[in-house]
Amino acid sequence: MRQLRLVVAFHTTSAAIAAEALCRRLGLEGKLISVPRQVTSDCGMAWSAPPELRETLESRLAEAGVETAGFYELVV
Amino acid sequence: MREKNWVRDYGPIVLAGLITGAAALALTALGNPKNMGFCIACFERDIAGALGLHSAAKVQYLRPEIVGIVLGAMAAALAAKEFRAKAGSSPASRFLIGLFVMIGALVFLGCPLRMVIRLGGGDLTAVAGLLGFLAGILVGIVFLKKGFSLGRAYPVPAAEGAVLPGVMVLLMVLLLAAPGLLHFSEEGPGSQRAFWLVSLLAGALVGAAAQRSRLCMAGGLRDAFLLRDFRLLSGFLAIWAAVTVGNLILGNYNLSAVSQPIAHSQYLWSFLGMALAGWGSILLGGCPLRQLILAGEGSGDAAVSVLGMVAGAAAAHNFGLAGNADSVVDGTYQVGGTSTAGMAAVALGFAVLLAVTLTHLPKKEGAR
Repeated sequence: MRQLRLVVAFHTTSAAIAAEALCRRLGLEGKLISVPRQVTSDCGMAWSAPPELRETLESRLAEAGVETAGFYELVV
Repeated sequence: MREKNWVRDYGPIVLAGLITGAAALALTALGNPKNMGFCIACFERDIAGALGLHSAAKVQYLRPEIVGIVLGAMAAALAAKEFRAKAGSSPASRFLIGLFVMIGALVFLGCPLRMVIRLGGGDLTAVAGLLGFLAGILVGIVFLKKGFSLGRAYPVPAAEGAVLPGVMVLLMVLLLAAPGLLHFSEEGPGSQRAFWLVSLLAGALVGAAAQRSRLCMAGGLRDAFLLRDFRLLSGFLAIWAAVTVGNLILGNYNLSAVSQPIAHSQYLWSFLGMALAGWGSILLGGCPLRQLILAGEGSGDAAVSVLGMVAGAAAAHNFGLAGNADSVVDGTYQVGGTSTAGMAAVALGFAVLLAVTLTHLPKKEGAR
């Protein structure tokens, strides 16, 4: 089922995996996905979450030192 | 709606796979070696030979397919405004990993792309390589989950990203304007080649399709295992399907584990060679084909990986590390395989990949 999601892109795969670990630890909903083609031609991984978590994720990832490459709201 | 979603999700990558498979069949029909319409490892090895970086007389030719793939990817990236020059992600480690990915692939006698093409020709000896590649991918995934990273790349001047495409243009000029400077095989795989323009255009077509679709064997398996996402992998399934059907139609399909073209039946070392290539490809973030595409998109890091592979090809033939194909001599079937030096090189490759991996794991949790 395609739906509007917040997609967080990263510069490295390890950062995506670190984001997953952080969100699991904090109980934040979401899952790792293959980064959507419309975001980048890279074939890395991204974090898909409900759009309403944007501010929470921006702050929590920054606090944890997980570098992001961008936040996108997409139907995926 | 579900059908439209499937076409949107899988259409471009499956189309890229079908194009690649068809191009491989066409190149073989027009002169390339059997089950080697495309082989990134073999063709980079041939280029190393053409430039005199090794002296294996049977594998020397400046393959225009490689030039085409890089320039096709670059053209597609420029057209889509996706050409982004960037670099700085552990280039020395990438060179080393690329070198051993190449040695592993040449022990098996093919990159992941040729592995699929061999399977599409009915070559059952390639199954050992496929299993090894899967094993290597899984090892790489274990370390990805532990936080392995070569670090991020940073924007650099556009000229930096254009270096490898520029080198490719120079190689093509050499081939056409100064062939006397190059080495050309007179027998063996290097002597079997389609007309240069056909090879160049076929490579460009595949390069453009792969850039648009992100076709990557290592990434496909990584996504399948790690994310249960089969989109990238479907591209390689499409290559296999296209090559299989094409070979069946053309009468070239030979389902057998003996007498396969440019292949050997030393299964353990096929397995281990491709395990090395698979693990290294995960560390690099893509298979040898993908490195060419990324280099075409402006990645200096991928360009360094490609140069490492070329150096690995030279080492493989200068030091007798590459696999030898099974052959028939005086009516007797002789099993080829790997030399003792080749076995030692694969073992060394695993040690080097482990060292690179361990030195690029996070020092403390959460530090990125």
